[in-house]
Amino acid sequence: MTDAPLVLVVDDDEAIRGSVGYLLGSVGIACESFASAEAFLGSPHLRPPLRPGCVLLDVRMPGMSGIELLRHLKERGCKRPIIMITGHGDVPLAVAALKGGAEDFIEKPWKDQALLDAVNAAIRKCRDVLARSAGREAVEARLAQLSRREREVLTLVLDGRQNKEIATAMSISVKTVEGHRQMVMEKMAARSVAELARLMLAPGERV
Amino acid sequence: MLPAMLRRLIVLCATLAWAATARAEPETVRVGVLAYLGSERAARDWEPTLAHLERAIPDRRFVTLPLDLPGMVLAVADRRVDFVITNPGSYVTLEARFAVTRIATLESGLPAFPIAAVGSTIIRRADQPAIRKLADLKGKRLAVVSTDAFGGFQIAWREMEEAGVNPFTDLAALVAVGFPMEGVVDAVRDGAADAGVLRACLLEELEAQGRIAPGAFVVVGERQSDGPQADAPPCRVSSRLYPDWPFARLAHTSRDLARQVAAALLTMPATDGRAWTASLDYTTVHELFRKLHIGPYPKTPPTLEEILRRNWHWLALAGVAALWWVIHAARVEVLVRRRTAELVHEIAERERAEATALRLREERDQLSRLGIVGEMASTIAHELNQPLAAIGNFAGGMTRLLDAPAPDLERLRIGARSVVEQAERAAAIIQRTRGFVSRRGAQRSTLSINAVVAETLSLFGAPSDLQRPIATELAADLPPVQADKVELQQVLLNLLQNAVDATPSADGGAIAVRTALSDGMVLIEMRDCGSGASDEARTRMFEPFFTTKPDGLGLGLSICRTIVERHGGRIWAAPSAPRGLAVRFTLPPVANSPANSPIEENHA
Repeated sequence: MTDAPLVLVVDDDEAIRGSVGYLLGSVGIACESFASAEAFLGSPHLRPPLRPGCVLLDVRMPGMSGIELLRHLKERGCKRPIIMITGHGDVPLAVAALKGGAEDFIEKPWKDQALLDAVNAAIRKCRDVLARSAGREAVEARLAQLSRREREVLTLVLDGRQNKEIATAMSISVKTVEGHRQMVMEKMAARSVAELARLMLAPGERV
Repeated sequence: MLPAMLRRLIVLCATLAWAATARAEPETVRVGVLAYLGSERAARDWEPTLAHLERAIPDRRFVTLPLDLPGMVLAVADRRVDFVITNPGSYVTLEARFAVTRIATLESGLPAFPIAAVGSTIIRRADQPAIRKLADLKGKRLAVVSTDAFGGFQIAWREMEEAGVNPFTDLAALVAVGFPMEGVVDAVRDGAADAGVLRACLLEELEAQGRIAPGAFVVVGERQSDGPQADAPPCRVSSRLYPDWPFARLAHTSRDLARQVAAALLTMPATDGRAWTASLDYTTVHELFRKLHIGPYPKTPPTLEEILRRNWHWLALAGVAALWWVIHAARVEVLVRRRTAELVHEIAERERAEATALRLREERDQLSRLGIVGEMASTIAHELNQPLAAIGNFAGGMTRLLDAPAPDLERLRIGARSVVEQAERAAAIIQRTRGFVSRRGAQRSTLSINAVVAETLSLFGAPSDLQRPIATELAADLPPVQADKVELQQVLLNLLQNAVDATPSADGGAIAVRTALSDGMVLIEMRDCGSGASDEARTRMFEPFFTTKPDGLGLGLSICRTIVERHGGRIWAAPSAPRGLAVRFTLPPVANSPANSPIEENHA
């Protein structure tokens, strides 16, 4: 798993694919292109592990159109931002694209800097999403290591209960509670109750 | 009495016989008498008078000459008589025309009340009270002796006129019973008439003779007698009184004889109720005749006033009619003017409407031209966008590569080459579209239809780009056609675009282009697998402005037909199996040209 960004281009025009790849390559961004929506859906890049990046998608294509592909990707829970490429004056299509969940749209022909800015912004966004997604996965993994008793103790600790109260509630000795609590803090890699609470709250934001 | 009368008659006959041979005899005096009751009665009536004259003037022989009214006028005119005894009406005529002069006036009436006057009495039966005054005679039957009778009609006529009754028009009937006047009484009594006219005093005479019962008849419109006979004992009359018959001399009669006769008459004792008195004034008779427009006073041309008075209702009617006509004419005139104005207005309105329609049509044509241009411009813009965007990308990338500390020359070269390629691509697009945009004269050349189809397909776009395979079934050995290449491409592009538009994108239906030789014509067919077209759409799809596309202009196929027909071919649509539409058009092959003759190679 590499952290280098990858831009996926879907456009039926060979010249557009080649030139976009050339431009992105000039600033060191890797690019892979597909001549149709169908070809794109068969690519391995849609499956984890995901590299940060974005999708450049032409709205007008024979076969499955850009808008159809956009809807399809959103339904599959695609985490990569999608930038739509529209013809000049295709305002209704641009609006439809944004409503369909596109990150941005860019009109053909464009200024090279405008394309690069849009692509960089999308990559940044993608990194954030992936990072958040990665943090959540780590907390889930740590939670999975807790025993049933330890989970109950964690819940009560987050409720702000004292060890004595927890012992009474669970009908166990305070000593045993302290042992469970020690294990929870270790397994969750938290140095304090406050850090434990932060870890448990952050994953609630789903991506 | 009778022997004397016979003698007189004999004398008369002899006189007449003599007069026929010898013109005149001084001793004989001829007296013309109005014989309204016949010669015999006239001779009898006046026999006493003439006998008295012969006695008084022994040296003259007096003979009577019975005459009717016209005969009287002729006799006087021819001086065949020296004296006349006639009724007042006749007298005033003779007086006016022949200067006849009265010398005595008859005095008659009841024996007890002799009067020298005549008048009329209008009677009705006492038991018929419907007629009370003269005006009541209107619509009734009136008996008279004769309409020529003076006392028996004319006098009464005047009175009736003054009462507003015209005896000739306003009565139900004017019954002339003829003489004797007693017949009038009989008619009234028997109910043959509602009223009757008698001369004055006849009623009293008959009553005195006991021939009618007193009180059996009532006098209508009775008036007190007036005038010169104011002192005369009254008979019951319905009219004014007029002087009685005159004894008159003619202008040629000697004055001495006239004086002798006059003197003799005045001294004559009353015989049979007749006597002679000093001649009376006949002005009243003149007045009567003037009023009735009879006798010497024939109807004069009526004065304007009379005409107006007499015919006021007709004139009023005519006036109303004239007024109506004037109003009608004015109204017609007004209507004509109004209609004319309306017509002018309508014509102006129609012209304005036609001008508006023409302007709208021109605007629409302009719009459709703009639409075609706009559609074309949009297509060109879309196509040009691709190479332009690519050029921008390559150039941008090259700029960034050049900023690197050690530029990658190989990558820069690739970029520059790509820019050139894309610029060429843009130039090709423009080159291709210019043929459609610019107006140019038809440039016919001998073409291979298969070559034109192949070139058009490459213009239309690569099959891989379309994601719809376009199958071609091009027949070998087709004869060449004489055609304008650009126009043919236009037709083929149009049909291709329609086929693509008709084919659903999802299920990749095939589009096929086929060429063949059919009935000596070169046939080109464009087939799609779309939803097809209804019978009506198929027959109408080549009409201008017919379209089934939501934003179509309806001009494409119309232009296609124009082009095909200009080339001598025809174009039609048919259902395609298993579904979709097949549009076919034909072109005539070049005459006498073998299929394998060399043909021009075509390049874009």
